[in-house]
Amino acid sequence: MQRLSRSRSARIASTVAAMLVLVAIILYLGHAKGFGPVQYVQLILDGIRGGSIYALIALGFVVVFNVTGIINFAQGGFVMSGAMLAVSFNQLALPIDPRMKLALAVIFGVVVTTIVGALVERLSIFPARHSPILTLIIITVGVFIFMQGIALLIWGADPYYLPAFTTLALEDHIIRIGGVMIKAQSIWIWATVAVVLVALAFFFERTLLGKALRACSINRRAAELMGINPSRMSLMAFAMAAALGAIGGIVLAPATRPMYDMGLRLGLKGFVAAIMGGMISSPGAVVGGVLLGVLENVGAGVTKAGFKDIFAFIILILILLFRPKGIIGGGERGVEE
Amino acid sequence: MQKDGWRRHQVSIGIGVFAIIIIMLGWIETVQPGGFKFADITGGIVTFDTLVRVGILTIVVVGLNLLMGHAGQISLGQAGFYAIGAYVSAIMTTRAVNRGINVFFPGAVPQDWWWWPWLMILAGMVITGTIAYLIGKPILRLKGHYLAMGTLGVGLIIYILFREGSTFTGAFDGIASVPRLAIGSFEIWPRERYYFLVWAVALTVMWLSLNLVNSRVGRALRAIEGSELAAQTMGVDIEKFKLQVFVLSTVFASIAGSLYAHYQTLVNPAPFGFVGSLDLVIMAALGGLASIWGAPFGVAIIFVIKEVLRTRLHDFLHGAGGEHEIIVFGALLVLIMIFMPKGLSYGVTRAVAWFGEQWLARRGDGEDIESQVGQVA
Amino acid sequence: MKKIAFAALTMIALLALIVSGCGAPAPPPEPTTPPPPPEDTPVPEPTEPPPPVEGTPYKLGFCAAATGGGSSLGMPERNTAEMIKAQLEEAGGVVGPDGLPHAVEMIIYDTESTPDVASSVVTRLIEEDEVDAIVCGTLSGNSLAIVPLIEEAEVPLVSMASARSIIMNPETGETYEWAFKTPQENFHSGIWQAEYAEAMGWTTVCDLYENTGYGQDCLAQTTAAMEEKGIEVVYTDSFERTDTEFPQMAGVTGAGCDALIVGSIPPGASMATVASREVAPDLPVVQGHGVCNFTYIELAGDAAEGVVFPCGKLMFADLLADDDPQKEFLLQYIADYTEFTNGEPIDTFGGHAMDALTWVVEAMGSLEEGLTLEERRAAVRDYIETEITDWPGTGGVFNITPNDHLGLPYTALGFVKVEGGTWEYFPPEEW
Repeated sequence: MQRLSRSRSARIASTVAAMLVLVAIILYLGHAKGFGPVQYVQLILDGIRGGSIYALIALGFVVVFNVTGIINFAQGGFVMSGAMLAVSFNQLALPIDPRMKLALAVIFGVVVTTIVGALVERLSIFPARHSPILTLIIITVGVFIFMQGIALLIWGADPYYLPAFTTLALEDHIIRIGGVMIKAQSIWIWATVAVVLVALAFFFERTLLGKALRACSINRRAAELMGINPSRMSLMAFAMAAALGAIGGIVLAPATRPMYDMGLRLGLKGFVAAIMGGMISSPGAVVGGVLLGVLENVGAGVTKAGFKDIFAFIILILILLFRPKGIIGGGERGVEE
Repeated sequence: MQKDGWRRHQVSIGIGVFAIIIIMLGWIETVQPGGFKFADITGGIVTFDTLVRVGILTIVVVGLNLLMGHAGQISLGQAGFYAIGAYVSAIMTTRAVNRGINVFFPGAVPQDWWWWPWLMILAGMVITGTIAYLIGKPILRLKGHYLAMGTLGVGLIIYILFREGSTFTGAFDGIASVPRLAIGSFEIWPRERYYFLVWAVALTVMWLSLNLVNSRVGRALRAIEGSELAAQTMGVDIEKFKLQVFVLSTVFASIAGSLYAHYQTLVNPAPFGFVGSLDLVIMAALGGLASIWGAPFGVAIIFVIKEVLRTRLHDFLHGAGGEHEIIVFGALLVLIMIFMPKGLSYGVTRAVAWFGEQWLARRGDGEDIESQVGQVA
Repeated sequence: MKKIAFAALTMIALLALIVSGCGAPAPPPEPTTPPPPPEDTPVPEPTEPPPPVEGTPYKLGFCAAATGGGSSLGMPERNTAEMIKAQLEEAGGVVGPDGLPHAVEMIIYDTESTPDVASSVVTRLIEEDEVDAIVCGTLSGNSLAIVPLIEEAEVPLVSMASARSIIMNPETGETYEWAFKTPQENFHSGIWQAEYAEAMGWTTVCDLYENTGYGQDCLAQTTAAMEEKGIEVVYTDSFERTDTEFPQMAGVTGAGCDALIVGSIPPGASMATVASREVAPDLPVVQGHGVCNFTYIELAGDAAEGVVFPCGKLMFADLLADDDPQKEFLLQYIADYTEFTNGEPIDTFGGHAMDALTWVVEAMGSLEEGLTLEERRAAVRDYIETEITDWPGTGGVFNITPNDHLGLPYTALGFVKVEGGTWEYFPPEEW
């Protein structure tokens, strides 16, 4: 650690050198596979799309961690629950416009998941709020397993589908620009991330509740002394995290085939993204998510797709060891909390 | 002084009682007095096969207990180290024997080298320990959530490497026809013989761990769990102790992995993923994170629940399969952690101690039973 | 003195209670009577002058992956097993050669798609339930885990998974004595794919496979079959069922191959098809026989149009010629299955279970009365090995021999093409 912080310029130089080496390796491996610019652009675009979902999930981690100091392993469960609930609602035979039905399905998914999030907090975290961190981690793991089991009971092990938002059909509209293709759903995903970020910024900066949450995250004890009820803030944080997870799951749903077990992988990736962003910063989480998505997609593209998850976890371990405050350095707590 | 003697006594008595129960159960299955088998005791719900598996996982969970309960360091990647043991044994006893893929000397292993698999169990321990040491040194600097995620990442990387190992690890199909263990021409099979081997190892591991917990190292570990800062101030080399316990827990996992490989005779990546690691943590938590004695019970409870649900759930709930057990596991884990964070065994010992106190109080001589019972746990 | 007598009486009563208590749930007496007086066993028959109304009840163990990663395959298998169970109960079991009805109890377990659970339930079937034969294993990995157990215990097993290594030791090439299987193999699939590729005039192909045992076997068999025809497999990569991005497609377009071969099951197969259509709409896609169910088309939508793949004849039974030996069996199964499950779609994997269970039930019908458990197990095995010849099932016309415990040629599969949201028979003449 001391060696690393010896001088700022040396650190920047070493980072740049490492990145250059990485790019060189990627280009070399890509060349061996006959990749042209089209393939790289495609890989990066797809990576940004996947990464945007990680970002939405990471935001949920950040909100809960900021307010309560807990890492909520059940976050992946919220993602799954949002997607599956929306799918189920959309499958109902309602005599309304399909566009309307899809919109209602989205709202239904988000609202019900938010309630689930609040229930999770009240039923599992609140009674154990004085327990050590280790216990709380295991509790959220238990909640996740429980949610997945319930989902298996309700929906079975079959994959479902949600129609694309643009075409309202299984097939999405595809924009092709010189060999590169972008799904219309990708644009929905990016727009959602942007809207959510702006909304979060507004919420935390401009509303009383948001400020109270922020106060809680800066110093819980002081916030309590100022008359902010930390238990209510914790409830709020879980509900918000659930909503964010559900939104992520729902906008992703048309690009995949939702199943009861989709939450685990997405939850883990979202966590990696949050760590990359320093764990306490919302913009950091978004940058982390997108970067993770791009890195793993390009990495898998130039090597072997089976190694995709390895890239994510190697990045995780490297970040934890060398940049515990996140890649953009926004974190204040880091490992030595 | 007197207390110290009593405590040593307790460990020996405990292990002795446990060993007698194990031998009794094994004896019933081996001799089958009057056609009466082990499974009949439980009404056919729990089979002898399960008892062997409980023994194997007990070895892993005891290690996890030391790490989580006594050193306060979480590991969500323990299944990865369990996998290393299993794979080292499997690769070295099949590929090496049949095809002569051999790192130590050229040529295939002669068929009559019965000690080769045993040597490979040791090799697995050494390899796992070395890997754990190299990984643990940087990773254990992390704390709390970060350590959880770091170990999770390590576990998953190990899992993916085995899964993607093409012909060397057999990828998804894994490695089949792992030989049974033998001493000379005495094969440790059928199942009853293997059962005694597994539980002998499990009891040894428990005995070692109990002694460790009650030693200087154990006190240092408890100090680390309480407050790392305080422990450091008191002159405890926390880095060293944490690393040692981590390596020890992975070596236990490796032994269990090897025993698993020779029991199942097939090693493939399926049991070693994230869910595998989670199962281990649930077992440890259920038995009591800090309780070595709790380990076999934590493992057994999970297995019994699995078996009951697997064989009975379908009758209650049409279309439900064994995988629905995770609902129960999830709920159980949350409830245990909220209401009995020290695990079932601690809860039970506390209850026993409470009743004992009531009884003694009625008799008029209120001895401090609770502290003694607490030490057992 | 009285006290002692009382105590002794109580003890005896207690002992009697214990013995009877244990005796009640005790299994049928076979295991305790294996060492009967030699050559005396046939004699007891005259000692029971009233001819028994019912013969020895038989037990059949069944397990499939009803949950977990293989559940889309395992559920139709379990449905089929439940259907046959109901049929057996209705018919009162099977009738032996002696004319006695034998009840057949079918015990159904879930392997949860993991090898550990599979081997646990099979151990239970062998040792606790003491079944005469086992039909088990949806996935190749799970089946491989149970083969050593049944070989050791000498119990016949019919697997419903496709890997050849289930019935043949890959190291020595020996056929396992007690293991059989019913599904067509990936190698058969590979031959079809290669023949189609040759007919289309392709010289290079890309292969994507799901990262599972099945997918890997698809890759290996397809590659072998392609090489035999002189077609080069220029790019291969795996994908996960849960993937949302397909970086593999960059490799496919980069390699510039003539067609894409996919080895997978739904939903992964559907996702790969969609991804391929999105990135390279004109690239022909050939799938393996793992996509022979309607879930594939349902989840892939329009992207599945024009995809071709080999498929068991079960899936297009009504399109077969009337003199096809399989047709009658297939239509009967389809009618029964649809009625039993209230209209669940027909699935090849259910057919594999149908074949396996029908073999075993047929074998049980051939058993003589008065055999011990071991003898029954051996007799079932021998029956399957010797009597299942020219046997039209759902998977093809089986010809089991001691060296081939599957007994199907690659023509047991047919070739189909997805058109208008369903599939059409697409025989070589139309290529």
